[in-house]
Amino acid sequence: MLSSFFFLAAAEDGADAGKAIALALGIGLGSLGAGIGIGNIFGSMIQAVARQPELRGELTGIQWLGFALTEAVVFYGLIGGLLAYVLV
Amino acid sequence: MRRALAIVTLLALTLPSFALASGDEETKFDPSEEWNLHTWGPELKIGPIDMSINKAVAYLMLGTVCSILIGIVLMRVKPGRGPNRRQALGETIYEVAQVQVAEQGLPTKAIGRWFPYVATLMVFIWTINILGFIPLPLSDERWHVGGIGIPTFAIFAATSTLSVTLALALMTWVFTHIEGIRENGTWAYFKSWIPDVPKAMLPLIIPLEILGQFMRLISLSIRLYANMLAGHMLILTFIGLIFVLENVFLAVIAVPAATAFYLFEVVIVVSIQAYIFAALSAIYIGSAIEPEH
Repeated sequence: MLSSFFFLAAAEDGADAGKAIALALGIGLGSLGAGIGIGNIFGSMIQAVARQPELRGELTGIQWLGFALTEAVVFYGLIGGLLAYVLV
Repeated sequence: MRRALAIVTLLALTLPSFALASGDEETKFDPSEEWNLHTWGPELKIGPIDMSINKAVAYLMLGTVCSILIGIVLMRVKPGRGPNRRQALGETIYEVAQVQVAEQGLPTKAIGRWFPYVATLMVFIWTINILGFIPLPLSDERWHVGGIGIPTFAIFAATSTLSVTLALALMTWVFTHIEGIRENGTWAYFKSWIPDVPKAMLPLIIPLEILGQFMRLISLSIRLYANMLAGHMLILTFIGLIFVLENVFLAVIAVPAATAFYLFEVVIVVSIQAYIFAALSAIYIGSAIEPEH
């Protein structure tokens, strides 16, 4: 299923090309959003620690929680893309 | 020592792909083949439930044994003697589980009852995740040496199958509602789902809140599953590129890239996902015991 992912799927079949586009869009747009979100989290963390260094310990837990929650968004896109690729 | 470890890791990463290359030359390389679970031994079926053993079950059993060993070796220390490194490590794990996971989500009165559950979740998921990045001879492919089929070394995590993570998420989900009903009473608990909004908004809000409870189940399971699946697939795909495009020189790019992803997964993702799963379980159970409204 994924081996045609490496070669250009368009060469084989038009429908495969559509699926490949769906997979790529799912991952690509998902990572776009998550990239902005994760950048925001770490940027805010740097600012917060620069202003109040004594809060670092308490903030670290919240930071990783936010990181994991945001990062998961990519994988919802990935799973959606894979579903489109495999099932449709 | 550290350099030797790095070289061993690098070599270990290429092992699964050598196994694939030594197989049938006609078959195309396909990373998703790793997730086709073949039954080992006889099929054990109890009614509609399939109880037969496959690769994921073997990894789960191994993970169970290892997490029990972590508890026994690191945390059962005779009192009286001076603390050693083993005890210090055990206490670090305990402290993370208590301060970072349990006390963040659970109210004080519920810590005694639910701390064992969330701490077990954390250690268990961490163990399965880390076992998924150690090459173990538990793969479905056989390497024939003198007529004996030896399983090839491969990396596979039980948490990269949806059934495992969904079962873990279901446990948290069921416990959440049982605990909410027990502490607040049935009517009061279900009423606490609905926030204070004008009456006209209620037909819109109530279905959304009920849907939100089910979305927790989905997001909790998919997060862990997709993280581990994507990590393994990335590593396999990078190594596999050498064999798909049949060009040895690609190894110059593919192997360092795969190693970088491998280190990222082992150092960050494995621990973060175990922590997140346990912390969110604690938050969900805690918010059911003491609803804000």
